[in-house]
Amino acid sequence: MFGVPENLKNAVHEDSAILVEYSARKLNAAETARVDEHLKACPDCRGIAEGQRAVWEAMDGWEAAPVSPDFDRRLYQRIEKEVSWLERLMRPFRPLFVRHGLPIAATACLLLVAGVLLQRPSDAPVSGGKPEISAEQAESALQEMEMLREFSRMTPAADSTQPRM
Amino acid sequence: MQDRVQSSVGCFAAALDYDAELMLRVKEGDDASFGLLLEKHRTSVVNFLYRMVQNQAVAEELAQEVFLRVYRSRSSYEPTAKFTTWLFRIATHLALNALRDGKNEKLQERLDDDSSDLPTRQVADQRQTVEQHLVYQARLDEVRKAVATLPDKQRAAVLMHKYEEMEYSQIARVLSCSESAVKSLLFRAYETLRARLAHMA
Repeated sequence: MFGVPENLKNAVHEDSAILVEYSARKLNAAETARVDEHLKACPDCRGIAEGQRAVWEAMDGWEAAPVSPDFDRRLYQRIEKEVSWLERLMRPFRPLFVRHGLPIAATACLLLVAGVLLQRPSDAPVSGGKPEISAEQAESALQEMEMLREFSRMTPAADSTQPRM
Repeated sequence: MQDRVQSSVGCFAAALDYDAELMLRVKEGDDASFGLLLEKHRTSVVNFLYRMVQNQAVAEELAQEVFLRVYRSRSSYEPTAKFTTWLFRIATHLALNALRDGKNEKLQERLDDDSSDLPTRQVADQRQTVEQHLVYQARLDEVRKAVATLPDKQRAAVLMHKYEEMEYSQIARVLSCSESAVKSLLFRAYETLRARLAHMA
């Protein structure tokens, strides 16, 4: 209960919030009957209730104008101005993300991982390719071959038992 | 879709009201749900703002701003209260600011002059005589002027209580005050209106 109106504090009167609800016809049947009984015996509260009901009914006739037919169009124009180009670009695909977000994300991750693995350079030499030899390595090999030739000339007996280089 | 929304924000949020569910879908990028919210609340928001500022053009401009703010806030939206509470909090805030800024000064001037640009729906039954119609218009004009003279918060409270049929608790949340403060605001407002419109009874 909120309290009685200031001008009615010296007697037992109906609560002001109850009177507002009574005038607005928002009370349930039991409460309405109780207030009705009180109003029969209380001219002060009856005066307030009748006056407020008159106000309520006068306000009933105050209707607002219909909303302009282009209200929505104007609103969406304003919204469109604020939407970023990225959002606009993604808009056709948004339902896919909303409904199938998880499967799409999983597939995208899988493709990404596969792509990374395919692009990764292998440690092993490429099969069928010729190994690259530097000039220094070739020169060193030739020198070693020359030394072996010299050595085989010096030891003809050992030559028949060793595999030819 | 509904299951997913519920699982994402918890049963509390989704069970709160259908509008909150729609707003959560907007948050997820479903623009069609924003259209549904607009369709559902457009008229009540415009009408509330019209009765607040008493100017149709200003009311529609403010209503556009209300829905624009709702759309802008979609990514951070959390359903901590009824959707309409949030919606009318934005609308009330904008209306009070507009009244403070004097956006409807022109209308106030017009209110003092005549009511020629009043909405056509105020025209009563076609079978009324010219005299009856004039009396009807004069009474409406009295009501509009009486409401316009209420302090801003009282006016907002009365309009939400009378035309939007909101509970005290919801009005309290919109106006960021206690329920007992709302009851006090409403009683004082209706008493002011009763005093001003007593001759109409």
